[in-house]
Amino acid sequence: MSMFSAMLRTGAVLAGALALSAAAPALAQDAGTKTARELRSAYDAAVKGKTIAFLPIALGVPLQDEWGRVIKQEAEWRGMKYVVRDPNNNPSAMQQALTALVNDKPDVLIVQNPSVTLLMKELKRAESQGTHVIQINMSSNYKSDAFVGADWTEIGRMLAQDVVKQCGTGSGKSGKVQIVQGELTAAASIDQIGGVMEVLNKDSNIKVVSNQAANWDANTALNITATVIQQHPDLCASIGFWGIMESGAAQAIRNAGKIDQVKVYASVEGSSLDCDQINQGNFYKVLSYKATEQGHDAVMAAVTLLESSEKAGARNLEYYTQPIWVDKSNASGANCFALPKK
Amino acid sequence: MSMTTYDSFGARARRFSPRLVLSELMMKQWFEPVIPFFVMIALWIAFSVVIRDYSSSENILSLLRLFAEFGFVALAMAFCLITGGIDLSVGAIFAVGNFSALFFLLVMEWPAGLAILATLAIGGAVGAMNGLLIGYLKARPFLTTLVTLIILRATVNLLNTHYATSFATNSTDSNVWDFLGSGNLFGLPVNAATLLIVLLIGHVFLSRSRYGWHLTAIGASRKAARHAGIRVNFMLFATYVLSGVLCAAGGVFYAARQTSTDSTTGVGWEFQALTAVVLGGVSLAGGKGTVWRAMIGALIVFSLTNGLVRSGVPGYVTSAIIGVLLLAAVGIDVKWSKNRGKVIQKTYVNPAYFELSPPPSVKSGDASPYAQNDRLIHAEAIGLDQVEGPEDVILDRQDRVYGSTRDGNIIRFSGPDLDQCEIFAHIGGRPLGMQFDQDENLIVAVAGMGVYGVKPDKTVYKITDETNRTWYKLNDDSRLRMADDLDIAPDGKIYFSDCTTRYEMTTNTLDILEARPNGRLVCYDPATKTTSTVINHFYFPNGICISHDGKSVLIASTSLCKIFRYWLEGPRKGQTEVLIDQLPGNPDNINRASDGTYWLALVGIRTPTFDLAMRKPDFRRRMVKEVPIDEWLAPGMNHGCVLKFTEDGRTLESFWDPTGVSHSTLTSMREHKGYLYLGGLENNRIGRVKLTGVDESWSGYEAYWGAKRRDRS
Repeated sequence: MSMFSAMLRTGAVLAGALALSAAAPALAQDAGTKTARELRSAYDAAVKGKTIAFLPIALGVPLQDEWGRVIKQEAEWRGMKYVVRDPNNNPSAMQQALTALVNDKPDVLIVQNPSVTLLMKELKRAESQGTHVIQINMSSNYKSDAFVGADWTEIGRMLAQDVVKQCGTGSGKSGKVQIVQGELTAAASIDQIGGVMEVLNKDSNIKVVSNQAANWDANTALNITATVIQQHPDLCASIGFWGIMESGAAQAIRNAGKIDQVKVYASVEGSSLDCDQINQGNFYKVLSYKATEQGHDAVMAAVTLLESSEKAGARNLEYYTQPIWVDKSNASGANCFALPKK
Repeated sequence: MSMTTYDSFGARARRFSPRLVLSELMMKQWFEPVIPFFVMIALWIAFSVVIRDYSSSENILSLLRLFAEFGFVALAMAFCLITGGIDLSVGAIFAVGNFSALFFLLVMEWPAGLAILATLAIGGAVGAMNGLLIGYLKARPFLTTLVTLIILRATVNLLNTHYATSFATNSTDSNVWDFLGSGNLFGLPVNAATLLIVLLIGHVFLSRSRYGWHLTAIGASRKAARHAGIRVNFMLFATYVLSGVLCAAGGVFYAARQTSTDSTTGVGWEFQALTAVVLGGVSLAGGKGTVWRAMIGALIVFSLTNGLVRSGVPGYVTSAIIGVLLLAAVGIDVKWSKNRGKVIQKTYVNPAYFELSPPPSVKSGDASPYAQNDRLIHAEAIGLDQVEGPEDVILDRQDRVYGSTRDGNIIRFSGPDLDQCEIFAHIGGRPLGMQFDQDENLIVAVAGMGVYGVKPDKTVYKITDETNRTWYKLNDDSRLRMADDLDIAPDGKIYFSDCTTRYEMTTNTLDILEARPNGRLVCYDPATKTTSTVINHFYFPNGICISHDGKSVLIASTSLCKIFRYWLEGPRKGQTEVLIDQLPGNPDNINRASDGTYWLALVGIRTPTFDLAMRKPDFRRRMVKEVPIDEWLAPGMNHGCVLKFTEDGRTLESFWDPTGVSHSTLTSMREHKGYLYLGGLENNRIGRVKLTGVDESWSGYEAYWGAKRRDRS
């Protein structure tokens, strides 16, 4: 909802700006109020011509593609230069790309960390030489200027609370729960599992029968889950730390003929792929952190940092995304962003 | 040196042949990775153009820091490939090394030095596991290391689960550790500097040490290596230990630089490393490769990944490009190793243009001293069918006849009728020209071996087999290829011809067809026991004779059909001049005659077609490439001719066997006590004819070392 209004606002500003610039040559002295002109020129001075660099773990994935699409579009509208690098899941290529980006000294660097440690040193170096670092959705142990993304502990708690409702004491179910983690050293896994376990441990009926890492890979999740479902045919729920990976787990459960009995949960970016999984009955319920909104927030964070004209490393701004539940009842429209076209 | 009469600048320019340079380059070991080398340079240039500041020293240093760990892993892979194996577990050992270093340092809180040693030991231990299975239990390297890869990978992932967060939260204050991660050594990042040192040691080890040669030998042929007494099992074992230690070293630097471990550390590095080293020219089949090739390949793969990602190319395209590269590299590797020999063969012979002086008439009945006659037809045969091509003949003070034969022997005939035949010495190679020194040792030029001596008691000893190398030549010409004829100066120096530095005894006709100055005059000085090249770049020098006064050397050039004189002393010392310009055939050995003149053998007689062919280098090249060797054009070899010329180069008379039945391809003759003894490269006998009106007490030994010397008058 808020996203919509934001887009509408953006649209209105855009239209206004276009009208202004069209009229500008003739009426350069008098267009609009003096205040509006001053504010806009201050804004332009802060952001226009600045470079915003984006380094995801890989492109070609709905989450990162959507971030990239939104950041590019919004940055370019503001007259910023947008740079993106695709290390394609290759951590050494990612380090190299980051080193090179940091050497190029962009004004803002938006980075998704594959683990909490891998890129730390370079991020620190980036801020020490004046580049604002925004960590998106998956942070490192280094507290940079801004973090944009899900509060993973909160996500974990919310997922677990719903699982307890379905499988916990009084539900009459086995209480057996499978957890499919992503890369173990990624912030999304470390914090999500913390939130999940905090809640699950409180219910005596819940038994975590499997807690394994599939490293963001659907195929690994499928293999793990195929074994789990054999050993525990009465499995009650499966929690996956990412939709695309968890779709593998759901497939294994479907293959075992248990898809109606096992509740499959995942935290997702909210792409149409996730909605397809819900509508096909593979996912029972997902918690979406809305990649579109995160992309927008990342640019907002960049603008804030640039406008504040503070030195890099001075602050630690947090922009948490509000997670929303998506299930069969609302898996359509704005809750399912279309896959960005190449 | 002055060979000005024909060796003008124009002649030199005509002689220069890019094809020749290329063919000699192709023979060089170090030339093999030339394609990857230029790919590496081209990539560098391309990215320097596309990416801003790519060639800045800051960027290069930061790239080197990022590269070094992969360099260690690629080097490990290269060693395994060279032994004919493969180590697919390199990436996993690297991850284990990274984990271990962090574990020892952050969890066990050991001092950095101890943590590093322990990590290297773990790498070695894992390598030893591979080595035991592959070296001693004869397991297949591919499967064995694949299994190791899976086990190690799973182990690291399990351990990560327990310790990753404590790595993330702990830190160390070790200066050593910080230095390894971000310090500089000799102006290079410390990991790159260490890699460079390891590479230098690795290079010396692989190319200069016995064990390095053993590794290569095992890779080339395991069976042959075992038969040669190499400890194959142990060497293989040690190689995988080495591989493990190298990977662990990479892991230590990575740990110091990143302080990070996760399930992606080193994932896929085995294939990147494999791509890299094969791309660089380390053969998948084993037995071929150097550390530099491995590094060239590693740099290509690294800079491709790095450069493409930095140019904003989509990731899957980068992966695809590297995949295609590996495919191409493997394909080229197979094709190249299969066809390189053929390419060299096709380009190695590079005939040059040259024009011979017009030949004098050899028509019988003419007034020319070269006019054909039949003075050799009735030559007496010695050792008929007992000798195989006595290229040179010589007689000792006891009037025994020696012949240097095709089977590597010096054969000796004695007795009043010279009918007792014995093998005086077996030297091997192809013995050619001979001469007695003052102590009656028989000094022999041996094609393929060098210059050897045979003592009167028949012991064979080496005199020399190499000379100084020409610094600018691609072909290593330090070794004597084809010592042909020799003579000994009064001071004991041995002057000998090394008639070609590009061909061998069996292929020396190609040198004549090529008609390039590939030969040289070499001198061995017994006083200093050194060998040095006196004249480099000589057209097929063959017969060598020290002049009667001992002040110059006569040199016969077989391909130019000329006799030269090189001054050893006197006002023209060090200069070369043409003594006989127009010979009717290809001269071979020159020897002294009793009356102060010289004998010369003509191995072949010039023909108008052959002379014409010498002016048509392309024709000769096509002939060599397209026509079987039996049908190649050659000078007339079916005549035998010996002639006599004076000190000032005037020819006095000639002796012919026009039938060629008993003495064709005459290569040598010696005058001894009123007889002339004849030797021929392809003959089945030694011949002798009685000379009239000569000093019948004159013999070669006396002329050089005894009463008949003319250099002391």
